[in-house]
Amino acid sequence: MAKISRTRFRVRAAAMAMAAVVGWAPASVGQDGDGYTESDFLSRARRLTIEGKRAGEGYYRPDGRMIVFQSEREPDNPFYQIYTLDLETGDSRRISPGHGKTTCAFFQPGSSLIMYGSTQHDPESEALQAEELAFRESGQERRYAWDYDPEMEIYTFDQDTGAYDRLTNVRGYDAEGSYSPDGEWIVYTSMRDAYNRDLSADELKQLELDPSYFAEIYIMRADGSDQRRLTDVAGYDGGPFFSADGTKIVWRRFDEAGLIADIWLMNPDGSDQTQVTDFNSMSWAPYVHPSGDYIFFASNKLGFTNFEVYIVDAEGEKEPVQITHTDDFDGLPVPSPDGQTLSWTSNRAGGDGAQIFLARWDHAKALEALAAAPRRGAGSE
Amino acid sequence: MTRSEAIRRSAVALVAVLTMVVMLPAGAIGQQSPAQPHVEALAADALDGRLTGSAGARGAADYIVSQLRAIGAAPLPGRSDFRLPFEFTAGVNDAGTSIAIGEASWSATDDVQALSFSDSAQVEGEIVFAGYGLVVPESQDFGYDSYATLDVTDKIVVVLRYFPGDVDQELRGILSRYSGLRYKAMAARQRGAKALVVLTGPQSPNAGLTVPMTFDTAISGSGIAAASISGAVGDALFEHVPDRTVEEMQAELDSGNPHVAGFAIDGVNLSLEVAVTREQHTGFNVAGYLPPTAAAVASDAKPYVLLGAHYDHLGHGMQGNSLARESERGEVHNGADDNASGVAAVLEAGRALVDVERGRGVILAFWSGEELGLLGSASFVETEPVPMAEISAYLNFDMVGRARDNRLALQAVGSSPSWEGLIERANVPVGFNVQIQSDPYLPTDVMSFNGAEVPSLNFFTGSHEDYHRPSDDTTGINYEDLDRVVRLGAIIARNVANQDSPLEFVRVEQVEQQGQRESLRAFTGTIPDYTSEVEGLLLSGVIEGGPAAEAGLLEGDVIVEFAGQTVTNIYDYMYALDAIKIDEPITVVFMRNGEKREIVMTPTARR
Repeated sequence: MAKISRTRFRVRAAAMAMAAVVGWAPASVGQDGDGYTESDFLSRARRLTIEGKRAGEGYYRPDGRMIVFQSEREPDNPFYQIYTLDLETGDSRRISPGHGKTTCAFFQPGSSLIMYGSTQHDPESEALQAEELAFRESGQERRYAWDYDPEMEIYTFDQDTGAYDRLTNVRGYDAEGSYSPDGEWIVYTSMRDAYNRDLSADELKQLELDPSYFAEIYIMRADGSDQRRLTDVAGYDGGPFFSADGTKIVWRRFDEAGLIADIWLMNPDGSDQTQVTDFNSMSWAPYVHPSGDYIFFASNKLGFTNFEVYIVDAEGEKEPVQITHTDDFDGLPVPSPDGQTLSWTSNRAGGDGAQIFLARWDHAKALEALAAAPRRGAGSE
Repeated sequence: MTRSEAIRRSAVALVAVLTMVVMLPAGAIGQQSPAQPHVEALAADALDGRLTGSAGARGAADYIVSQLRAIGAAPLPGRSDFRLPFEFTAGVNDAGTSIAIGEASWSATDDVQALSFSDSAQVEGEIVFAGYGLVVPESQDFGYDSYATLDVTDKIVVVLRYFPGDVDQELRGILSRYSGLRYKAMAARQRGAKALVVLTGPQSPNAGLTVPMTFDTAISGSGIAAASISGAVGDALFEHVPDRTVEEMQAELDSGNPHVAGFAIDGVNLSLEVAVTREQHTGFNVAGYLPPTAAAVASDAKPYVLLGAHYDHLGHGMQGNSLARESERGEVHNGADDNASGVAAVLEAGRALVDVERGRGVILAFWSGEELGLLGSASFVETEPVPMAEISAYLNFDMVGRARDNRLALQAVGSSPSWEGLIERANVPVGFNVQIQSDPYLPTDVMSFNGAEVPSLNFFTGSHEDYHRPSDDTTGINYEDLDRVVRLGAIIARNVANQDSPLEFVRVEQVEQQGQRESLRAFTGTIPDYTSEVEGLLLSGVIEGGPAAEAGLLEGDVIVEFAGQTVTNIYDYMYALDAIKIDEPITVVFMRNGEKREIVMTPTARR
């Protein structure tokens, strides 16, 4: 898993080893018995990003004509920067400042702002870049690259004026944000609760081992005011997005050990937290289809490092339906605003890093497959 | 936004895309592809397979010139003709070679025949038998030098063809690389030998036969007289060796023991007269020019962009590089994909570029002699009708008419750091599932320009089972996707033509492939998919009736282990192929539908 780094979620080598201990064996490929193939749902699949070592997390502008994504393509920076890509002209533009670590960008509906997580204020950021480049030069490879940098804060960039604005200002990783459809709220992930109080000895050990244990879902106004916590359960809560009608927030919740994750839904005020999947695997990166009928997510159900994209009905009454069928990583699924195209991140092109892919999405076929899926817990036929 | 509003907006967006790339063929449904008439004209039987130097190739050149005129292209700056002639060797013949050992002499081609790369010469001298005549460079961690204990200065060297037959697979892999006849001739010449005589040992394939004169090694001489002899002549020679027969000698050598030495054959002289004639013919490249329309780029910024495709093909496939099956042999090879498709792409990309602003001039070039060894493009690079240093980039289109599953390979991307960004940008509106490949050392005209330090990019829709066969015809062409290749190529060419600075060239390290492949003689019948960068070797097909097909391998299988060697890429596979033996079963491990399988395959003799 050293090959790719994902930001809305990291697979940690330690977690993999522990998974093996708990007897969670990868199923062999092809055991998925629902009989569908990738081309049943996805057509004209194609690689979108080409430049640079890796790219991922492509999120659409509300008009569907542009995406914003993260990519490692600056020669002197081994960390992600944020770019927009015009889907009509192919023109791309870096919107983050070029230094530091960044992640998880999202267009604000109705404005020229783009929100993203960044360490750009950190005076250490260029030293950290040089250190990482030197480390790579030495030929070593990190077991995992994502360190939940406590300097990560949420910023906006104004595409018209070029101005940056910092919205969060407390120690602890603040990132993985997205706007409500009306553009007035940002839901995001914060690990601030690991830093704003005295931790017990056990908690300190936990922080050392894996700070994501402290991650919770937060919400704030688009100007950064009124920051409030929505979840309060030990283990990594992260990767939240609003549904297209703004009535629900979807996110993924890990167990305390950080091994099993499932998809959850809640109201924007944090009430009515409901578990949607019970898939006994790492199910994460959820995104609600614009119809509201079903939720995309990624899971390694078929093997620790073999992530595939799935869909599940919004009520979670049925077994999920597998969408991608390609070895290695397929995840971070994002439907276009019109629901007709799927953007996802995959390393199916080979090489070291993942890239963003696009395909036409067959919504009718998806509904049909969900209707035919067995009830959750009934087991597969 | 409601869903219907979103759909309406996406329809508006689509119209915007089509109007923005106004210059580019939109490939409207129901209309004939503008590329189709070009493919059909060039792949017509009347052009007789467009063999370089033939009337058919001249007819193809006439068609291309007429199309260049039609789009308003001019001849290259300073020229009045679109055609650029070049001389080439069209064939090589033995014009009477003879050999004498003591009193006995032979002159029939069954007994003595010039090697195709031999110089014409008459020599006489003492004889040294030098085993297999192999020299393996020190760098291989394995010492083997047939000349280690021999002085061959001013002598005539006799060697066995191929390499020791009983060595293990790893050693075969090494030795086979240095066993090409041209390489052996070079080794003999470098040690001062006057001539090289090759005998096919009694335990080898093709035992006792002279070596046929093949054309593909005949393009230039080797600076030494070289001929092959029959088993009968070999026996006559070994009559002068008191204690050993040729069978015994070969058996000793075949063990691979590097200390088995050659020896001088005393008491008799050998005289050899080699006469080789090379037929010189004239081929024609064709090139048209679209001058800059906008204020020209800075004078030091390389004022040309070059688009090219070869238009020659195999004629009736009688030159040795046809893959026609027994039942098809001698039929016209129309080469619709290879490479009428590429010519059509360059013509149509050129037509699209006529109407756009161009900061650099665009050259549309059509090579001949590609199938004979990149002769036309090599001549262009050497004679420089425009200086190589003034070409900002070269886009090559070779086999772009058989796209499947929306895939397009873009190769030689390592030749400039700018390619990835240029491809990403251009492909966003075109939408191919592009396969990016770095290596510029490709069996197409890109090789010539990469060698001249011109950043190059090759467009390729993949190999297929009709490759180099009469069945590569117009019915197999995917015109819809060919039109998209044209769009992609034209957008990249336009962007290169208008960017301020020229592309930076990067020299990609070549994966070592020393020695020669002509010694490769085991046949498997696998067709590798060169467009894929999957882990392992993806098969784009298997040759009907070949060992792979007999063993049950299918198109789409991915070979991961071959004869005990792990295969992660095409080079591993070629290396593993070197080490296999005719009629000796090998195990092949492969992936099919995500499942690992294993079969046993028995390679046969090539041809």
